[in-house]
Amino acid sequence: MSRYFYYLVFVNMIANVVASVPKILLLEKTEGAILSMVLALPLGLVLCYIVAKFFNRFPGKGLPEIMKKYLPRWFTFPIIILIAFGWFMAGMITLITYSFLLKRFLTPDMPLVWITAIFLLFISYGILMKTSSVLYTVEFVLVCCLPVIFIIIIKAYTTAEMEWDFVKESMMYVYRLPTFSALAASTYLLLGGFNLIIFNRFFTKRKQKMTLLQILFLGIVAFGSLFTTYFVPIGLNGFEGVETISYPWITTSDALRLELGIIERVLFVFLILYLAVSFLSLLIHWHVSLELFRSVIQIKRLKWKEKNLVPYIIIGVFWIISLQLTKYLTEHQLTIYTSYFFDGLLISFIAMVGLFWFILRRAKA
Amino acid sequence: MPLKGKKQVNVDEAIVGILEELKLTGDVVHKPLRMDDKEIELLYIKTVVDGDQLHQLIIKPFFELGHLHHVASYLNSLPNQQEVQSQEQILLDLTKGSVLVKLNKDLLLFDVKKVNTNTVRETSVEPTILGPQYALSEDLATNINLIRQRYHKPSLTVEMHEVGSKTNQSLAVIYDQNVVKEGVLKEVNSRISELDQDIVQSTTQLQRFMNNRTRSLLPTMMATERTDRIVYNLAGGKVILLVDGSPSTVIAPAVFFDFMTSMEDNYGLYWVTKFSKFLRYLGLFACLILPGLYVAATSFNPEVFRVELALSIAGSRIGVPYPSFVEVLFMLIIMELLTEASIRLPKAVTGTATTVGGLILGTAATEAALASNIMIIIVAAVAISTFVIPINEMSYAIRVIRYILLLFASIAGLAGLALALIGILMYMTNKDSFGEPYFKIYFNQKRAETGDNPS
Repeated sequence: MSRYFYYLVFVNMIANVVASVPKILLLEKTEGAILSMVLALPLGLVLCYIVAKFFNRFPGKGLPEIMKKYLPRWFTFPIIILIAFGWFMAGMITLITYSFLLKRFLTPDMPLVWITAIFLLFISYGILMKTSSVLYTVEFVLVCCLPVIFIIIIKAYTTAEMEWDFVKESMMYVYRLPTFSALAASTYLLLGGFNLIIFNRFFTKRKQKMTLLQILFLGIVAFGSLFTTYFVPIGLNGFEGVETISYPWITTSDALRLELGIIERVLFVFLILYLAVSFLSLLIHWHVSLELFRSVIQIKRLKWKEKNLVPYIIIGVFWIISLQLTKYLTEHQLTIYTSYFFDGLLISFIAMVGLFWFILRRAKA
Repeated sequence: MPLKGKKQVNVDEAIVGILEELKLTGDVVHKPLRMDDKEIELLYIKTVVDGDQLHQLIIKPFFELGHLHHVASYLNSLPNQQEVQSQEQILLDLTKGSVLVKLNKDLLLFDVKKVNTNTVRETSVEPTILGPQYALSEDLATNINLIRQRYHKPSLTVEMHEVGSKTNQSLAVIYDQNVVKEGVLKEVNSRISELDQDIVQSTTQLQRFMNNRTRSLLPTMMATERTDRIVYNLAGGKVILLVDGSPSTVIAPAVFFDFMTSMEDNYGLYWVTKFSKFLRYLGLFACLILPGLYVAATSFNPEVFRVELALSIAGSRIGVPYPSFVEVLFMLIIMELLTEASIRLPKAVTGTATTVGGLILGTAATEAALASNIMIIIVAAVAISTFVIPINEMSYAIRVIRYILLLFASIAGLAGLALALIGILMYMTNKDSFGEPYFKIYFNQKRAETGDNPS
C-alpha cells in the first residue's frame, strides 16, 4: 500500500492513546482486558486487510461513488447518512475529550466553549480542503510528532519508576474471558484503514497490494501500541486504583521527567504532541464525514457568489452540535457514551464488511 | 521584405501614415540617401537607435556599393532584418529601436537598437560565497545570453510574448523542451495570455498578476537574480519568465522548500550544507513561534518551562506595565519599522535610522520598563532569523504569518499557538503552484512524487 494508507491507520492508533481507549480497558482490568486485546489484534488486522483489499478493486473511487454505481438510490442514501453520522461521532468524541483535557491541564482559565471553538475554527478550514491536502498535512504533522512520541515511550519503558511487578500482577488476569466493550475499544485502534471510504479517492494507482509483510508490520505496530496503551499506565501508576484515574495516560506522562530538557515535565510535551495528533484524527474523521454528507446532500440552488453553500451549512451544524454537546456532557458520561459508541462501531463495521461483499457481488454480476 | 500585395502608392502612404503618427516626436529622423541614381529612405527614432551601428550597417555600404540592386541584395541578406507585417507593428518596432528603410517599392526593417542597460550586475539580493558572483542585467537579450552561456543544450527553448497593453514589454518564456512538464507550461502560457495589465515593469510583478487570486500571502513563483539558480531550475524542468528591463526572473512552479534552499547548498560539503540547512529551518521556526511562545509562556502557561526560567522571565518583567502581548507587539512593530526604514531610506540616511533604532531596541526600552530584557533578546533573535530565509518574498510572508501566530497565542496560549501552526500548515498544503502541491514531503524520487498520480 501507499505510505499514506499507513498514516490513516497510525493516526487512529496513536490518537486513541489519550482518548478513552485506555480508560475503558483499565476499567476491565480484572475482567479480561488482556484477552480482549489479544483477540482484537487478529480481528482488527483482518478488518484492515478486507477494507484495503476491497478498495483496491476500485482505484480512485470512494464508497459513495461505488455505492451509487452498484446499489439503488433508496438504499444508498440512508446508509451513507448513517456512516457519515458515525464518523461525525468519532470525531466529536476526540474533540470533546481533548477539549476537556485542555481545560483540565493546559488552559484552566479558558471557558470550555472557547477551547472547543478554537478547535472548530481550524478544523472547519481543514475539512474543506482537498483530500490530498488533508493527507499531506497528516503526513507532515506525523513525521514531526512520531519521533518525539517514540522517545517518550522509550523513556516510559526505561524509567526507574516503571514497576514491572504491577504489570506482572495485571498479567494474572489473563485467563478471564474477554468482554465485548474491551474488545471493541481495542479493535478501534486498528480501524483507521476504514477512512479509505473517502480517502480511496486519492489512491488512484492500481498496484496497491496488501502483502503479508505489510500486514505483519501493521500487526507489530498495533501490538506495540496496544501493549503500551495498557501496560505502561499500570506499570507507572500501580495496578491498584489505576482505573479511577480519569486520564490514565496524562497522569502517566506526568510521572516522567526530562532532567536536562528545556521543558522539564514530559506532560506538556505530551499534551502538545497529542493536541496535534488528536487534531489530525479529528481532521480525518470529519473530512470523511463532510465528504459523505456532501455526496448525498446536493442542493444545487443553494448558491451564493458561484459557491455552493451546502458544505458550509453542514459545518455550521457540526459547530452547533459540538458546542451544545461540550456544554452538556460530563467527563464520566463521555467515557460511558464512548464505550457504547465503540461497541456499536464494531458491530456496524462487521456489517460494513457485509456491505462490501454485497457490492462485490453486484459488481461481478 | 515587401508589404504583401501592396503597390508603391501604399508604401508611400505607409510612410506618410507613420510620420503622421510620430510627427510630435522631436527625435524622429526621416532622411533620404541619394547618390547618382541610387536612392533609399531611412526612417527611425534617433534616441533608441545605435548611430554607429546604423552607419556601419546601412549608410556606409549604401555609398560603397555600385548599383541599387547590389544595395537591395546586401540589405536583404543582413541578419538583423525583421519581418514587416503591418503599420502598427512597424510603429511598435520603431519605438523599440528599429530602422525602416524604403527601397524601391519595399519597406525593410532592421534592428539596430541601442541598449544602455546591458551591464551585468553583481548579485545583491542573494549573495553567496562560492558560486557565480554576477547576476543578470536589465536587458532581455543580454539575460538570455547569460542563461544560454550556462545551459548548452539545443532543447533550451525561448518563447517570446508581449505583456502590458501600454508598455508592450517583451516577455521571454524559457524552458528545456525535454524535461519541462507539459501541464505547467500550458498553465503558464494560458495565464500569460490572460494577463490584462497596462504596465508590467518587473518580472516579480508577474508573480502577483499570475497567481489567479486577488489576495495571497505566500509566493507561488520564485523570483531570483542568480543565473546558477535559473539553470538549476531549468534542468529540473521548470519554466523561467523574464521581462525586458527587469534584473530578476521568476521561476514557476515553486514549492515551499524551493524558497528555503540557497544555491550554496549545492556547492558546499555534505554535512556542512546539511548543517546550514538545519540552521535555516531552525531560524524559520524560531522567527515564527518565538513571539507567540513568549506570550503563551508569560501569560498562559508559565508552568510549562522550568521553574527557573519561569521565575527569570517573571523577574525581568517587573515594572512592565501592560500585558505581555502588548509588549511583544510594541517591540516587534518597532523592529519591523526599522527594517522597512533601512530598505526604503536613501543610503546616506540609513545610518541614522539604525543607530536611533538600535538605541530604542537596546537598553533604553528596558530601562524605561517598556519591555523586559528577555523580550529584547527575543526580538533580536526574531529579526536575525527572519533574514536567514534565502528568498526575500518568503521572508516577507513569514513576517506576516508571525503576527497570525501571535494573535492565536494571545487568545488561547500554547494550545492556540500549536493549532495556529497546524492551521498555517494546512493553508500551505492546500495551496498549489501551477498544479504542483505547494507543501508536501518528498520521500521518493522526484518523478514519482510530482506525477499526476502521487499516491
